Amino acid sequence: MNVTPESGELDSLLLCYCTNLTIGDLREACRARRWPLPGKERTGKLCTGCMGDLLYCLRCFGADEQL
Amino acid sequence: MSSDLSALLSATFYEEGYDHLLEPVHQRDAAARRHLASLDVTLYDAEGKPLGAVTVDPRQEVLDLASLVHEHVTAPGRVMAVFDARYDERIFPYRPHHYAYLHRRGSPVPSLYYAVRAALGGVPDRIGATSLNNFENYLFRRRNFAERYSLLLGNLSRFSAAEAQVFTYYRGARLTQEVALGPKAHVEVPLEGRRDGQPLERVELKAVFGLASYVVGRRAAGGDLVLFDHLFPYFK
Repeated sequence: MNVTPESGELDSLLLCYCTNLTIGDLREACRARRWPLPGKERTGKLCTGCMGDLLYCLRCFGADEQL
Repeated sequence: MSSDLSALLSATFYEEGYDHLLEPVHQRDAAARRHLASLDVTLYDAEGKPLGAVTVDPRQEVLDLASLVHEHVTAPGRVMAVFDARYDERIFPYRPHHYAYLHRRGSPVPSLYYAVRAALGGVPDRIGATSLNNFENYLFRRRNFAERYSLLLGNLSRFSAAEAQVFTYYRGARLTQEVALGPKAHVEVPLEGRRDGQPLERVELKAVFGLASYVVGRRAAGGDLVLFDHLFPYFK
């Protein structure tokens, strides 16, 4: 995928299918230094399928890579 | 689209020459026919390049995957089909799966019917699932019935590459294969059916995060699929 999460074009895409977290939700939470959001703490830890993308996005948004 | 809807991302692999019919999640009862809120299908080649995308009428109870692939690709090799579904958890309160039918055209080999691999979502938080799906295994019958075995693996990430290890076991001997997949890329990993005279007993898949994965068996003569199944979480 050539478009990167920083661009904002992907904000509406669902990142975590278990907690219904979008890329935009994560970007805003990181910008406000509020990650993990209440109720979204298990993002990446349930089906685990989004874990790679979650870590990638956290890096892009300048957040700690702690899940 | 309402964020109240639950989400499920599933994947399977299409091969040329097969009738491949998908039954999207649905339910019929006396009162109503219940169906998904939406279903989008995207096709990818082995390198992860998108080949086509289509929004499917979620009321459709059978989807002809072969026709869908041929609408987008003239000479398909192996194609990964990704199904992005939204559904109301009040309608499907359990963890839903699509199912699929698979049969090589003109072959006397019996048809296969399988649960399509759910790779992301499907509310494992709500059903209390505790099994990690990034460490899976499959036990083979003592008397193997397919001459050639393999794993089909696909990386459903949008951005992240995936690394995985495939372990095969032969009465005390273990072989390891390393696999690396870019975003949306997929591969068939051959498994030795016998090693030093010992039959393949078990295969394990270990990945950093969940992949789309199937264990596959083929007849040596002709290559007809006789096994197409998902692996199972290692821990209960």
